[in-house]
Amino acid sequence: MKEIYLKEIAHGRSGDKGDTSNVCVFARKPEYYAIIKREVTVEKVREYFGGMVKGSVTRYEVPSLNGFNFVMKHALGGGATLSLRLDSLGKSMGSAFMRMKIHVGDEEV
Amino acid sequence: MNKVIVGGGQGFWGDSNDAAIHMVKKSNINYMACDYLAELTLSIMERQKLKNPERGYAGDFIGLLDQCGKEAFDRKIRIISNAGGMNIEGAVNAIRQVAERQGMHGYKIGYVQGDDMKSQIPELLRQGVDFKNIDDVGDFKDIQGDILNANVYFGHEPIVECLEGGADVTVTGRAADSALFLAPCVHELGWRADDWENLSRGIMAGHLLECGGQGAGGNYQYDWRGVPDMDQLGFPIAEIGNDDFIVTKAPGCGGVICEQSVKEQFLYEVHDPANYITPDVNVDISHATLTQAGENRVRVGNVHGKPRPDTLKLSIGYHAGYKVVTYLSFAWPDAYEKAQYAAEILRKKMERKGMKYEDVNVSYVGLNALHLGVADMSGDLIKNQNEVVLRIAIRTKEKSEAAKIIPEISPLQLNGPPGASFFGGRSHVQEVIGLWPTLIPRDAVKLTSRIVEVK
Repeated sequence: MKEIYLKEIAHGRSGDKGDTSNVCVFARKPEYYAIIKREVTVEKVREYFGGMVKGSVTRYEVPSLNGFNFVMKHALGGGATLSLRLDSLGKSMGSAFMRMKIHVGDEEV
Repeated sequence: MNKVIVGGGQGFWGDSNDAAIHMVKKSNINYMACDYLAELTLSIMERQKLKNPERGYAGDFIGLLDQCGKEAFDRKIRIISNAGGMNIEGAVNAIRQVAERQGMHGYKIGYVQGDDMKSQIPELLRQGVDFKNIDDVGDFKDIQGDILNANVYFGHEPIVECLEGGADVTVTGRAADSALFLAPCVHELGWRADDWENLSRGIMAGHLLECGGQGAGGNYQYDWRGVPDMDQLGFPIAEIGNDDFIVTKAPGCGGVICEQSVKEQFLYEVHDPANYITPDVNVDISHATLTQAGENRVRVGNVHGKPRPDTLKLSIGYHAGYKVVTYLSFAWPDAYEKAQYAAEILRKKMERKGMKYEDVNVSYVGLNALHLGVADMSGDLIKNQNEVVLRIAIRTKEKSEAAKIIPEISPLQLNGPPGASFFGGRSHVQEVIGLWPTLIPRDAVKLTSRIVEVK
């Protein structure tokens, strides 16, 4: 087993709606889809973001695109207008997500 | 027509005009739709209109028409935009002036009114509409007295009416972004208002186009280094018929249309992929497929639709206090430690002045201002940082409270840790606008479509 950044096997983009952040995550190769499904669980995402995401985390699976959509509520410090964060729109939430460390088998990646 | 070709000319108010002009000159589009409205934009426009009744719309759109409206008219490319914002008549007048100046005789300007629901709120309350926040926060009574604007996200139908009336350009207020793109599909291909399968494809084509450059390799994580000529990034174009649809871009511009670039935009700002709710249709993209169909051509398939909801989203903007944002930069050595100490000084000053605030955010630009708690703040990297920018943002109820911190910032250059440099000029107090998303019955909304012709 080895530890890698999620960015090694995935890419995606973050968007906002009010105080909700969505990060879509796609496997860089089809065979990585199962790894992401196994490693990037709702529990792990909630723990990873800690106090940054104050509401629920939901994971939607879109296997035909080898992708997932993570929807995180109360995640932008109040939303674009009320938020005091530099990145009030959460444009960098996607890259923050990709910084998550995951475990993969030596043969897997 | 068995296929309609629509381009996405703008991604937001403040976007570059270059891609739109290139598209009009160099591509084979039939329509160009330009999205100017983000969630907050209408509240800002309402503020502008209160200061000056002539304003309150996206003036950028008038500039764009000045640059390429005549050519679009000559080439029979019809333009649709929600640039009307909070002052649709003002936008129409400005467009008319451009068209007259450029000698565009017979130019038809369509416009849609009725999304501004602010004056109808008391009556709707009497009828039992509760304006419950769809994010389940707060009590409507608490914001009712502070409302700036209330605009309903409407669908394609009134825009289609303008197109049926021959509008060369159509301006609206808060049309849903993707409705601007769906309308030409419905108009040209004759889709029925309950043809959920076709409508869902028109909406997804719009969804992929409505953010301009993001649909063509802008803000692209997969391989940003590999995007050709980002300095002249083209915006996406959709070819929509009665089957799958194609996303592409104009010849001779930068950017990339590939499976990965389309994917990143595909789920962007979508929540449940099986239920992407719009005013026109409830879209299901949970089994959608994307396939490369040529250079810079991606085919989108397996998009499905279900009946649209009986409610429409109403976005209410309200006055929510004030904020002040300040920046101070500190130099090596011990830049981070100095910045932290300066933050502590400011906190002590705030306390001594009895400053009342709602929320305060301290971050260090270059270290953790974007990634917050996820940022790596350990080790030599932080210790040896060449420079660190301290950023403090404070939100208050009263303007006078926010103002108290401003005179304390610049003196830190002389009265604080060494090597400080005031950054970004003197801070000022900004108004904070809150957003209250809610749902109202569809039949409470009355939209009207009109056309004026330039003689």
